[in-house]
Amino acid sequence: MEKQTIDTIVGVLDKKMNRTLKLYMDTCARCAICKDACHQYVATGDMKYLPARRAELVREIYRKYFTKTGQFVPALYEARDPDENLLEELADATYACTGCRRCMYYCPFSIDTGWIVAASKAILIAAGRGNEMLGQLADAALFKGDNVEMFKDALMSGFTDVEAEVREITGNPDASIPVDKEGAEILYVALAGAHSYKSAAVIFSEAGADWTISLFEAANYGFFYGDTEKARLIAKRVVDEAVRLGVKEVVLPECGHAYRVMEMFYAAWSGEELPFKVRHILEVIDEYMKSGRIKVRAGAITERVTYHDPCQIGRNGGIFEEPRDIVKAIAADFVDMTPNRAEQWCCGGGGGIVAMEEYDKMRVASGDPKVAQLRATGATVLACPCENCRLQINELNKVHDLGLEIVQVMDLVADAMVMKGSAAS
Amino acid sequence: MDTFSFIASALGVYVGLAVFVLGMAWRVWQWSHTPKSPARFALYPKPKTGVGRFGALLRDTFVAPQSFKMAPGIMIAAMAFHLAALAAFVGHLRLIHEFTPLVNAFGMEWMNSFAGLAGGAAGIVMLLAVVYWIARRTFGPYKNLSVPEDYLLLFLLLGIIVMGDHLRFVGGIHAPVYIEWFNSLLRFAPAWPAELAGSGEMWALNWHMLFVDAFLIYFPFSKLTHAIGAFTTNLVRSSD
Repeated sequence: MEKQTIDTIVGVLDKKMNRTLKLYMDTCARCAICKDACHQYVATGDMKYLPARRAELVREIYRKYFTKTGQFVPALYEARDPDENLLEELADATYACTGCRRCMYYCPFSIDTGWIVAASKAILIAAGRGNEMLGQLADAALFKGDNVEMFKDALMSGFTDVEAEVREITGNPDASIPVDKEGAEILYVALAGAHSYKSAAVIFSEAGADWTISLFEAANYGFFYGDTEKARLIAKRVVDEAVRLGVKEVVLPECGHAYRVMEMFYAAWSGEELPFKVRHILEVIDEYMKSGRIKVRAGAITERVTYHDPCQIGRNGGIFEEPRDIVKAIAADFVDMTPNRAEQWCCGGGGGIVAMEEYDKMRVASGDPKVAQLRATGATVLACPCENCRLQINELNKVHDLGLEIVQVMDLVADAMVMKGSAAS
Repeated sequence: MDTFSFIASALGVYVGLAVFVLGMAWRVWQWSHTPKSPARFALYPKPKTGVGRFGALLRDTFVAPQSFKMAPGIMIAAMAFHLAALAAFVGHLRLIHEFTPLVNAFGMEWMNSFAGLAGGAAGIVMLLAVVYWIARRTFGPYKNLSVPEDYLLLFLLLGIIVMGDHLRFVGGIHAPVYIEWFNSLLRFAPAWPAELAGSGEMWALNWHMLFVDAFLIYFPFSKLTHAIGAFTTNLVRSSD
C-alpha cells in the first residue's frame, strides 16, 4: 500500500482518537465474551463478525502507529501496517455491524465496539473504501436538502392528501398538517413516506398540539456511511429549520438512529448546544395519553401483541417504558419478548445494512435470534417503532412464515383513539 | 548472592517494581492527557445520580453481572482467579509484616499452617484458571482472536504460579526465612538467609521471582492495563 494512503489512514485515526477510544484500544483482553452477544456471530460463527475481532483490526493499526511497544515488537502485539487484506476484512466487518451495542452491554470493560466501528468507517472512507451505496444515499440526502425547493411541490401535495385523510379519520374539518409555522411548539420531522406522519398528524390534531412538520427527512445516511461531516450537514437542516421557526422542541418519528443522531451526537459534532428539546414521538404520545390529552380504547386490540425494543432508542436511547405503557393501554394481551429492554436482541436490520445488498444473506440469517424470540411470544402483532427494524422483521416474517402483523406504535394508537369529533357526533 | 540470584531476586525486583509503578503512571498520564470525547456513549438504563453512577461503576467493574449472565464459565474462572490473586497478594504481605494479632492469638505454628492452607488454595485456584485460559485460547475458536501477547502473559502467570505452588507444597522452608530475605531487599542489602542459600527452595524462588519481575516489567505495556482502564470505560457506560 502507498505510503500516502497509510499516512492518510493514520491521520484519520489520530483525528478520531480521544480518551475513550484510546482506552477502548488499550484495555480489551480479547476474552471474547462479546461473541455470544452479537447476533451476526451467533448466526454465522464467522470470526470476522465477532465484535472483538472487528475492533482488533483497528487495534492492529493503532498498535503500530500509536504505541511505542507496537513499533518496537510488532510481532508480539500483531501490530501492522494497513494493507489490502486488512482493509478488505475491515470493510466487510465494519459495514456489517448494525451498531446495536449489545456487545458493549455484556463486555466486562464496557468497550463500545460501535464506536470503534465508527472510527474504522472514517478510516475506510479516507482509504476510498467507504460503502458505495451508503455514500450515494448520503449524497442524495444532501442534494435533496440543498434543493428543497425542487421537491417542495411534491412534498406539499403529499401533505395535502394526508391532511384530507386526517380530517376524515378525526372527523375534524380543521385538522391540518401545518408547514413552516413560525413559533410552533413542536417541529415534527418525518421519514420519507406518508406512513411516518399520518398517524402522528392524527394524534397531534386530537391532542390540540401546536405543531408543524419539517420539510426535511429524519433519516441520516451520513451517519450510517460513517462520514461525520455529511451526517452533521444532513441533521443541520433540521436544526436550522427548528431555529428559524423558533420551536420549543423537535420530535423525531418512529426511527431509531434519527433520534440518537439528534439527541446524542449532533451537539458533539457541531460543538454547539441545541436550543430546543429533542424527543421521540413515543415519549410525546405517552405524555398525551397519561395527561388525558388523547384517549384510547383500552383492550382495543384483542390479539396478542409484543414489542420490539429498537437498539437505538432502547439500549442506546433509554426509551423502554413509554412504548410499553402505550401498547399495554391498547392491547388486551401484551407479552414481552425474552430477553427484552437493554438485553433485547438486535433484529439484524440496523446500521444501514438493509440498504447494502451484499449483506442480504447474512442479514437474514442474523435475524435467527429475533425469530426465536418472536415465536416464543406467540404474538400475532408486533409493535415496532423503527423503520429499519420493520424492514428487517418484515423480511424475517416472510422468510420464516411467522404470520405477524408488524405495525408502528403510533398506528396502534391512531386506530384505538377515541376521536373528539366522533365523540361529539 | 550468585549472579542469577542477584538478577532474579534482587535487582529484578527493584527494576520490576520501578517499571511497574512508573509505567502505570505513564499510562494513566497518557489517558488523562488525551482529549475527552464530546459524544455520549452511555448505555441505558443508567443511574441518574452521581452516587448511582459510582455504585454502577463498582458493580460493573468488580462483579460485571451482565458478563456473568452471558458467559458464566469464563467469568467464574476470571473471578476465581482475581480473588485468588488478591488473596495471594495479601498473603505475601507477611513478607513485610506479620499480622501480629493472629500470631499472638494462635502462635506462629498455627499461622504457618493457616497461611499454608489459604495460600495453597489460592495457588491451586490460580493454576486451574490459567490452565483453563491457555486451553481456551489454544483449542477454542478464540485461537484466531488471540495474539502472542495473550500467550506470553499466560505463560508468565503460569511460571509464577507453578514455582509459587512448588515453594508452597514441596518446599520445607517457612515464612520467617522468606521474611528475612525480603527484609534484606527492603534495606537495599539483598542477601540469602543461611537456610535458603544454596537450597532447592532458593532455585525455585529465583525462578518464581524471575517470572514476577518479567510480569511486573511487562504489565504496563500489556492489555493488563485494564486493571485501571476498566474503571474509566465502565464509568463511561453509565455517564452522559
